[in-house]
Amino acid sequence: MMPARWAAGERDRIAPLSISVVPLLGEMVHVHPEGTPEGIRPRGIIPRPVYSYSTCVRRERHLKFHKWATHRSKGLLLVRTTVVGSFPRVDDSPEGQRLRRAIARWERGDLPADGLRAVQAGILREVVREQAGAGLDLVTDGQVTWYDSQSHFASRLDGFEIGALERYFDTNTYYRQPRANGTVRWKAPITVVDFREAAAASPAPVKAVVMGPFTLAALSEGGISETSPLVQDLAAALGREVEALAAAGARDIQVDEPALVRRTSLPKGYQEVAATLVRGKGDARAWLFTYFGGVEPLLDDLLSLPFDVFGFDLVQGAGTAEALRARRIEKPVALGLLDARTTKLEDPHLVAKQALTFRDHIPFEDSFLSPSNGLEFLPRPKAREKLRVLVSAAKLANEGAR
Amino acid sequence: MTAPLLTTTVGSFAKPDYLQRARNQFAAGKVSAEELDRLTRQATKEVVELQEALGMDVFVHGEMERGDMVGFFGENTTGMRPGQLVRSYGNRYYHKPVIVDEVRWDRPITLDFWKYAQGLTSKPVKGMLTGPYTIVEWSFDEYYPSRRDAVLAMARVIHEEAAALAHAGAKYIQIDEPAIHTRPDADFDLGVESMEAVVRGVDAEFHTHICYGDIARIYPGMLRLPVKQIHLAFKNENFELLKILEQVPFDTSKELGLGVIDVHNHNVESVREVEEGIERTLALLPPERVWIEPDCGLKTRTPDEVLEKLKVMIAARDAVRRRFSSRGE
Repeated sequence: MMPARWAAGERDRIAPLSISVVPLLGEMVHVHPEGTPEGIRPRGIIPRPVYSYSTCVRRERHLKFHKWATHRSKGLLLVRTTVVGSFPRVDDSPEGQRLRRAIARWERGDLPADGLRAVQAGILREVVREQAGAGLDLVTDGQVTWYDSQSHFASRLDGFEIGALERYFDTNTYYRQPRANGTVRWKAPITVVDFREAAAASPAPVKAVVMGPFTLAALSEGGISETSPLVQDLAAALGREVEALAAAGARDIQVDEPALVRRTSLPKGYQEVAATLVRGKGDARAWLFTYFGGVEPLLDDLLSLPFDVFGFDLVQGAGTAEALRARRIEKPVALGLLDARTTKLEDPHLVAKQALTFRDHIPFEDSFLSPSNGLEFLPRPKAREKLRVLVSAAKLANEGAR
Repeated sequence: MTAPLLTTTVGSFAKPDYLQRARNQFAAGKVSAEELDRLTRQATKEVVELQEALGMDVFVHGEMERGDMVGFFGENTTGMRPGQLVRSYGNRYYHKPVIVDEVRWDRPITLDFWKYAQGLTSKPVKGMLTGPYTIVEWSFDEYYPSRRDAVLAMARVIHEEAAALAHAGAKYIQIDEPAIHTRPDADFDLGVESMEAVVRGVDAEFHTHICYGDIARIYPGMLRLPVKQIHLAFKNENFELLKILEQVPFDTSKELGLGVIDVHNHNVESVREVEEGIERTLALLPPERVWIEPDCGLKTRTPDEVLEKLKVMIAARDAVRRRFSSRGE
């Protein structure tokens, strides 16, 4: 028989760099590389030959989903947790800065491109497991290979050149500003390799993220003009990317449109843009996420778009929270309640309490709690702490909901 | 009257390998504070000597003692603590400080290295300060109830430092505010108000450096900043920014710091392209009110690139100056 604590608790705890063994009864447990959890001896368990990592990952993912589905059917588990997209890629430790060193070596010509890719892939896997290990239900690749959210896409599409540094919204980060110099076209998958890497490494389902056509156009040099077909061309190109992600097995595909928070109405033709984006998604759920502000003036128009899940920043966009609570929304919502721009940690009880105020206004059991925007603006240890607050808040909200 | 087309740099210089190594070793406890200080002064001396050799007009001390323009103030201001690494762009990171208590000026922050550098040359050395809006904006604030409270409190700290520099004899003091246009509609007035609080009653010529971001959104509003010189990054966008000066003329009481060297590009500019940028500017402003500078701090470039880029800058300035004097202008 398995020790109770191990069976109940440690099985769900997926430590980074843990390895999996499969005991006789067929239950999969995780054993820390340094040994079994303190004070617990796995008596009576004879490890079988270790499964390959990817088999274990798939199995763990399946178990996680099965557990959620079972609990949901019993009304036991409701709101889940996800991130918006980015995650810090370095920390202050020497080991935590190996990506930084690798890029510097690659820039000097001392490291070949495949050497850099190997380091990037290692960080990507680490970031994915860090999120899953914190207990997140839906993770991302952390966008750790992106130079920035704009040039990562523009530089891989036909019709753009990449220019000077520009401030990224009201953050203290900068992006290389793209400039359209011809017809914008999709050439080849942009995010699929990273998605596959993340999916192979992650014990939790992985959400793919693409930057939205309106934001890419709005943040490019010259911005948006009434006469330019740039947004429509970008929608067609990014629609191909969505299709490629769906073909690669992505079940959740998110389109980020932070520039919509600057609007008081939906951009002209955006219904058609959205339809183009999601046309090739197949069975995948298409998400639309806005952040760095609120969208209350255009909320109803946004909700009429053909996306399956809507994510909102409810910290910088606190007004959107009020607008949501004034409605009954049929589609799942990601509630961006955790402030991803400050190191100050929230009280999970307060976040849970806030989350419960949406219970009668959204399909809570299909919805998510999330940070307000990508976590990359925080130091990595703080991002980890925020994830723990998020997971605790979701548990408390679910207990409250019961 | 100011001499035409004076040259200076924006503040930081590339750290030599021996200093970068020593800083890393100091962080790991393998080098003493005394040894690090000795090497930092050696590197500062080399920066001063380089500017002498190049024939620059107004010097900087090179910021060899600073890891980062905000992190340094975070480490040395009461009420702040050093932070952990966050990314600013590409592969560049900085230790983002945290405001954890009321910020106070208890002792000089930058004075020691300014005095050291000024003692090495007869040319004026600029006092180099980061502005209150930028320090607050590029820190995490866990203490103040509002950004306004934090910025105005930080302005009092920077004012004290500016007064200490002026009292020690600094003729020029530069206040870097690269974040001042982060929220141009909501916060630009606060940026102006905090600059006024910094310079009020301090006897020095104040310059400000603002780079990247949406400059057009704060122009001509930026002309309200109570400083003698506003320095902007022009080369980064191939002098496209001149268009906003063509539409609304620059304040006649102010000088323009013209960024002519791209500090985020390994390619060394040609003398001709820098000359062209200067000539285009001189169609809008007289040379007495134009200073020739790189776009931003030079720490992003290697020491070799810095040398080559500054040589180009000086050569271009000299060529334009010669043409002007031969025309009798």
